[in-house]
Amino acid sequence: MKRIFLIIIILIALIPFALSAITVEEIINRMDAAETFSTSFSRGEILSTDRFGQKTSTFNAWARGADESLIEFTSVAERGQKVLRTKGEIYLFYPDAQELIRLQGAALRQSLLGSDISYEDMTGEKNTLAQYTATIEGQESIGGRFCHIITMVAKSRTVAYPVQKIWVDMETFMVWKAQYSTQNGRLLKEMEVLGTMEVDGRILPSRTAVSDKLKKDSKTIMVLTEMQIDPPLDPSIFSLQNLTW
Amino acid sequence: MKMKLTRVAFRNLSRNLRRSILSGSAIAVSALSIVMLFGLIMGMRDDMAQNLKMFYSGEISIRHAQYEEFERYNPIHLTVDWKAVEPVLQQNPALEAIVPRINFPASLYINGGNHPVLGVGADFEREKSLIDLTAIVRQGRIPSLGANEMLIGATLARDLNLKLGDSVTMLSTTAARGSNAITWKVVGLAVFPLSALNAKYVWVPIDRAQYFLRMGTDVQDILMMVKSGYDEKALAVEIQAEIQQATGTLTDVQTWKQLNDFYSLLEVAQYLYYLIGIFFFLLGSTVIINTTMMVIYERMREIGTLSALGMQGSELTRLFFLEGAIVSAIGAAVGVACGMLITWYLSKAGLDFTDAMSGIDIEISSVLYPKLNLWTALFVYVYAVVVSSTATLIPSRRAARIEPVEALRYI
Repeated sequence: MKRIFLIIIILIALIPFALSAITVEEIINRMDAAETFSTSFSRGEILSTDRFGQKTSTFNAWARGADESLIEFTSVAERGQKVLRTKGEIYLFYPDAQELIRLQGAALRQSLLGSDISYEDMTGEKNTLAQYTATIEGQESIGGRFCHIITMVAKSRTVAYPVQKIWVDMETFMVWKAQYSTQNGRLLKEMEVLGTMEVDGRILPSRTAVSDKLKKDSKTIMVLTEMQIDPPLDPSIFSLQNLTW
Repeated sequence: MKMKLTRVAFRNLSRNLRRSILSGSAIAVSALSIVMLFGLIMGMRDDMAQNLKMFYSGEISIRHAQYEEFERYNPIHLTVDWKAVEPVLQQNPALEAIVPRINFPASLYINGGNHPVLGVGADFEREKSLIDLTAIVRQGRIPSLGANEMLIGATLARDLNLKLGDSVTMLSTTAARGSNAITWKVVGLAVFPLSALNAKYVWVPIDRAQYFLRMGTDVQDILMMVKSGYDEKALAVEIQAEIQQATGTLTDVQTWKQLNDFYSLLEVAQYLYYLIGIFFFLLGSTVIINTTMMVIYERMREIGTLSALGMQGSELTRLFFLEGAIVSAIGAAVGVACGMLITWYLSKAGLDFTDAMSGIDIEISSVLYPKLNLWTALFVYVYAVVVSSTATLIPSRRAARIEPVEALRYI
């Protein structure tokens, strides 16, 4: 009996090691897969806090695959404003502007509605391994969940952050925490998942905190109040022609 | 004796007229330069004061209490309730005019690129009490209230290749700390006296700026012009208390001088120029000192003879001092007169610094009009005569110390 008990304890203790046997490439691929849906619709709000106080913006968002997404803001101050991401390009639609604004270059670093999230944060491809070289640094428990700690170093200068350190759930492959830094280790931004929700059997972040470390007293919490996975979507909603409806 | 000394002094000066003219010219050039310099400084100071009042702050500026503290963060949300504050200001007997304004940084989206500009939301009807808009609008017209129309600085329009009738989309941060964009039609090209206003500013109707920036009926700044005879500083304190009492909100009420450090610096600089003036005259006086010393050596035999005949040392000092003083007085008079004439001409014709000042962000007009002030001219004249005459005392006293025996050796 004692021997069986000992074997069970050893087996439990070895679980993390057994799980870590997975390669870093596999982890990253499964992480990308966990974040990508054929289509999705979400509703949520962005709570931005800065030195002047807190503001709330609400939005509806549609996404198709890894490359296309559309966000429409529904809060009074921004009602009707839309952000379209299609094939690495970002376009802004403002109801009172007669033309679409294409963001490029330094403009991508601008903040989305004064939050800690930049337009650049929305441009990253979901093929992480094509952009970064990843290495496993170890394991750590975040909020009671075992996570791989992975450091990713950019292969080129085209990405928003040269170095990323991420904490990936060993079971769900959801990213619980991320630190974005410069090449020489200066922390630029931090992301942490504060809450999750289950949608169609998948665990997804429902409450995420983002903090731009270059801004003082600044923090943004993105809350998803509704999430639909694989809803039927008209592909034309991601077209420039349709952006102005 | 004094009369005689004066006559002798004049006679001595006319003995070598060319040398006397040279000495006087040095003083004249110094006096001319100082009169012109003071005219330019006064012109600059007045021009700056006018520009600051017209385009930046009025005589008294009313802003949100925390605006100045957070100005570098573009706190467009720190506004003043125009509807609540205007009635309070209207009751003040010192009020001459009030103008609401919204100053905001923005960018114009042209051919896929963002071009930074500074926007001004203005009530153009009220602005007429502050700015001569008809003189400023060179092409087109003033934007209409309620329309997405824009008045743009001529240099900026040229740089961005914008013409009357063109449409341009402007992006900015809103008072809700989000972003917004709106398309405006260029209806007017303006030529402001300040190069910065021409190169960076666009003016839009205040109601559309409020909508664009999500400010409701609030404004960012209220510019107040005060009737003459009121102490602006005391009035600012009074107005702040009145607004607080009537609306319950604390505002930042400051005079245009309090808001503009550079103007205060210019006022301090004026005293510095008085000091520079002393050096100018001392420099001019070195010619007189040198000439007087040469004259003393040349007239050593004469000095010896005069001393041997019983002329006192103090009388000799006075004689040479008088000669120096006469040269200074005539030189300064000619210099001040010429300086006044040139300053008067430039005060009408103006000095065009447009090319030199392009790209310089300073509240001084590109075309400067020096200011002729009779009191300043008189001051410079007295100043020149006193400094130069005093300087001639140095060699003059030397003449008094010459022993008759020593002087007679030159015979």
